[in-house]
Amino acid sequence: MQIRLLAALCCLVLALCYQATARTAAPTWGNAGRQIHVLSTVSLQTGAGQGIGGSLFAFFSRLGDSSWSVGLHESRYAYDLIESVHVWTLCLFFGLAVMFDLRLLGWTMRSVPVSEVARRLLPWTVVGFVVMVISGTLLFTAIPVRSYQNIFFRTKMFMLLLAGLNVWIFHSGIYRRVGTWDVASVPPRAARVAGALSLVLWVCIVLSGRMIAYNWFDCDRQPQRPIINFLTSCAPTQSEEH
Amino acid sequence: MSLLGFFQWCERSGIGDTIRRSSWLFPLIEAIHLLGLGVIGGAVLVVDLRLLGLGLRRQPTAQLARDAQPWMIGSLLLMGITGGLLFLSEAIKCYYHEAFWFKMASLFLAIVFTFTVQRKVILTGETRLRPVWNKVVALVSILLWSGVGIGGRWIGFS
Repeated sequence: MQIRLLAALCCLVLALCYQATARTAAPTWGNAGRQIHVLSTVSLQTGAGQGIGGSLFAFFSRLGDSSWSVGLHESRYAYDLIESVHVWTLCLFFGLAVMFDLRLLGWTMRSVPVSEVARRLLPWTVVGFVVMVISGTLLFTAIPVRSYQNIFFRTKMFMLLLAGLNVWIFHSGIYRRVGTWDVASVPPRAARVAGALSLVLWVCIVLSGRMIAYNWFDCDRQPQRPIINFLTSCAPTQSEEH
Repeated sequence: MSLLGFFQWCERSGIGDTIRRSSWLFPLIEAIHLLGLGVIGGAVLVVDLRLLGLGLRRQPTAQLARDAQPWMIGSLLLMGITGGLLFLSEAIKCYYHEAFWFKMASLFLAIVFTFTVQRKVILTGETRLRPVWNKVVALVSILLWSGVGIGGRWIGFS
């Protein structure tokens, strides 16, 4: 069940990353649609994304205008409450995932069989992950265009993909033979590497997630270095470049 | 010195000033603070889920608590240091913010509860205690630590 869930998430993140390569204009008043697509074939077919749908940018622009988004954005408490849920669930998801990774590294619960830790704790991380995705999606919906073009948001999505990949490799690889190393206080190298990778990736995901709140590299703050504008798919207007 | 005077003194400190003047120091310290919260959450939940009969049920609670303890105390220290730095940079704001006082009260209660009542219950062992007490202790622990985390988050909301 976990594997399928993660695979679905990977697909979603992959689609986001793919679409993220489409360069879009800085969101200025009444000019949300001007964009130059580099990779997005779908958008090329619909004529530079001016049509219906076409690109994620257009989709998120419309999402930002929806009553849902405006409601979340303007409500006195909705955003704060959802973010509190997101932070609380971080403890459940990230905390227990870290405990499992630490067991893989042989740094805690050495006397507990790895398969038992996995069986008893990982279902909780799945619950936590689902709540994280739902609350995170709501937070994104509140400010979609800005989040979509945020460099930390994109970094976070990319690393989520890597973390999902790591989970998949671990469960389809060394964990299949867990019977042979279940009670080892320090698991074999491959399992330790998976644990360390997971630890590093999730730490980076939390860090970049926290940084989404800051607007240092936002599209409406020009001038930025070309590499930043490339990574945020931001095409500033001529006057903004100076 | 009055309490407010102390807070004003903290706000004026060199460290607080340095953090306030940098654009990236506060976010960085805050992000590390958040990581510490996550690790405390994991260490607390491993023990509390076991007490609730939901987590690693086959393991003795006392052993799990011993295993989780260094990670809990370690991240508590990390949070103390990073939290102290964050506080120095905005002490006056904290003084007037209800969430700050709510968090400090929760933190005090959570630490006292964890190292007295909860420890006592865990060391007494399941056989000599009615199981319901394990669950009550776990729920109180989760509630208090949640108060710390959520209270902390709300310091950031104005």
